Amino acid sequence: MNEPVQRKINKILIANRGEIAVRVIRACRDLGIATVAVYSDADRSALHVRFADEAIHIGAPPPRESYLRAEKILEAAKKTGADAIHPGYGFLSEREYFSQACQDEGIIFIGPPPHAIATMGDKQSARTAVKSNGVPVVPGTEPGLGDEELSHAAINEVGFPLLIKATAGGGGKGMRVVRRAEDFGEALASARREAENAFGDGTVYVEKLIEGARHIEFQILADMHGNTIHCGERECSIQRRHQKLVEEAPSPFMDPDLRKRMGEMAVKAAESVGYVNAGTIECLVDKDKNFYFLEMNTRLQVEHPVTELVYGLDLVKEQIRIARGRRMGPTGSFLEPNGWAMECRINAEDPYSNFMPSIGQIHTLLVPTGPGVRVDSGVYRGYEISPYYDSMIAKLICWGEDRAEAMLRMRRALSEYTIMGVKHNIPFHQNLLNSFSFMAGKFDTKWVEEHFKMDTYEEDPDESDLETAAIAATLHAHRSRQLASQVVTRNERDTSNWKWLSRWERMTR
Amino acid sequence: MTKYLTTINGKQFEIDIDKEGKVTVNGEARDINFLPLSPALYNLLIGTKSHDMVVDERDGEYQVMMGGKLYTGEVLDERAQLLASTRTGAGASSGEISIKSPMPGLVVAIPVSEGQEVKGGQTVIILESMKMQNELKAPRDGVVSRINAAAGQSVEQGKLLITIV
Repeated sequence: MNEPVQRKINKILIANRGEIAVRVIRACRDLGIATVAVYSDADRSALHVRFADEAIHIGAPPPRESYLRAEKILEAAKKTGADAIHPGYGFLSEREYFSQACQDEGIIFIGPPPHAIATMGDKQSARTAVKSNGVPVVPGTEPGLGDEELSHAAINEVGFPLLIKATAGGGGKGMRVVRRAEDFGEALASARREAENAFGDGTVYVEKLIEGARHIEFQILADMHGNTIHCGERECSIQRRHQKLVEEAPSPFMDPDLRKRMGEMAVKAAESVGYVNAGTIECLVDKDKNFYFLEMNTRLQVEHPVTELVYGLDLVKEQIRIARGRRMGPTGSFLEPNGWAMECRINAEDPYSNFMPSIGQIHTLLVPTGPGVRVDSGVYRGYEISPYYDSMIAKLICWGEDRAEAMLRMRRALSEYTIMGVKHNIPFHQNLLNSFSFMAGKFDTKWVEEHFKMDTYEEDPDESDLETAAIAATLHAHRSRQLASQVVTRNERDTSNWKWLSRWERMTR
Repeated sequence: MTKYLTTINGKQFEIDIDKEGKVTVNGEARDINFLPLSPALYNLLIGTKSHDMVVDERDGEYQVMMGGKLYTGEVLDERAQLLASTRTGAGASSGEISIKSPMPGLVVAIPVSEGQEVKGGQTVIILESMKMQNELKAPRDGVVSRINAAAGQSVEQGKLLITIV
């Protein structure tokens, strides 16, 4: 193999916002690399703009008018003389054309080459690519088969239980679970009908239904010198509506043999597309430890810090090193994690009202610190949470010698965390960490939605807790009344105090 | 001396606060040190026990967030107690309910129509905000009397969307 050309990177533009932009800026600072932030009208006061060496305005708040405008971002890179662009996650990170456009403009894209993004970005081409390299995929058919072919393949190749899915699908429309061969024909007809009605397209395919599945993913690093390694797994089964809420590394479900086999599979999957830089192989693992390739995320993941903590890595630094054409730091795959790490996503969502997102100004913020605690965040006191972007406020990551210590530290850190001004899901995490199923590591991807309730795992509060809450509520009410009457006495109004109080009460309602 | 009748999670306490701020619970004196840290954040020392907590009040309902648990209830002073005792027990099961947009967003769908009967907990409108679809539900059984929004419409925070009687 030819020795790849070493490329200089002295300035990086971060084509993202929020905590991940801050995270990338931190790695750049550690490496002595200058940084350029881009921002929309909604983000003038955001932390990434404050932390970066330079900042360029790129448009209006909606992502389509700012963070998704490739040409604006490239223009900003040229204007500031950035050698490279880090895309973060989301936005342009998995757009083949953006990686290509960077290449065409002579700017280094800190991520995989365009063809790897393209192949992994399409479900069918990804399956075909990894299968050709001996990677197991969830058994299923291609889309577009006729009724007879599909039924034959379902019964003889896929097996039951299985899922019929609409190609144009979404929101469960046109999806059917079939458990017996004799029910297949009827289910197929109704799935096609539903897909036809919902999407105007009755094309369906069949996939084996993996019951009690866990979502386990492997971190991949690959450099331009032909080295591809894995950095162990992350457990991401705690989800709600396909949004991950808690991740941990390692997985409580993992054993050394399974890690070795899945790790080898993950490396093969990445190699099948000539992958370079950091990426993640997402897998489904069933109760019997059979595993299947699901998809590859061709970017840095939100939950990358748990891997960093158990393997002593800085994945963003490795990404930059790889993009410079150097050999990556680690020389072999990681098989033995050091301790345990857990991440809770702190979102501006109210767990007591069906996780309704919340906006507003953070007027009080106390961030946990201390042994084993890391917080990756893009907010500060006084920061305004806007409705334009996702609701993640911060990631709280805790490390311990073992899972128990990591959990205890997480409970401690959550109890220290005070965020006021927006509703947030810290109470959800506190309840989760008190639940026996979570403590025992017994959960699958449906567990939060189907078995977890905000009040199920809360121990009944004892009498003294109720009394303490009652005293607090009463003193709060009493104080409000006093504050109201003070206004009156200071100004010596001629109306009666009672009238003023009721006016004040109406005003503050 | 101000007398309060406070109910938390269904349990009632008689709490008196005198001019010096001394607190009595059900007739027993308590050693209390109550420190406001920001508009709704407090530290409360009861004897030597330290509690950090957030107290919020909305439409007469008090919420106390303490140790990762949410406590809810009401605080009635003498005047409010008097009013409550003369009020006949109609309560929350009657009257008009306004469902307002909790935040700016896009109306994705309104799966009900005017005049339709709805059950408590039934989804009456789906709103997209912060990249997520959120279902707003009827707080109790009733009839949809007015719909003030349409699918595809962008709405501001606090906009009246649906009225249920």
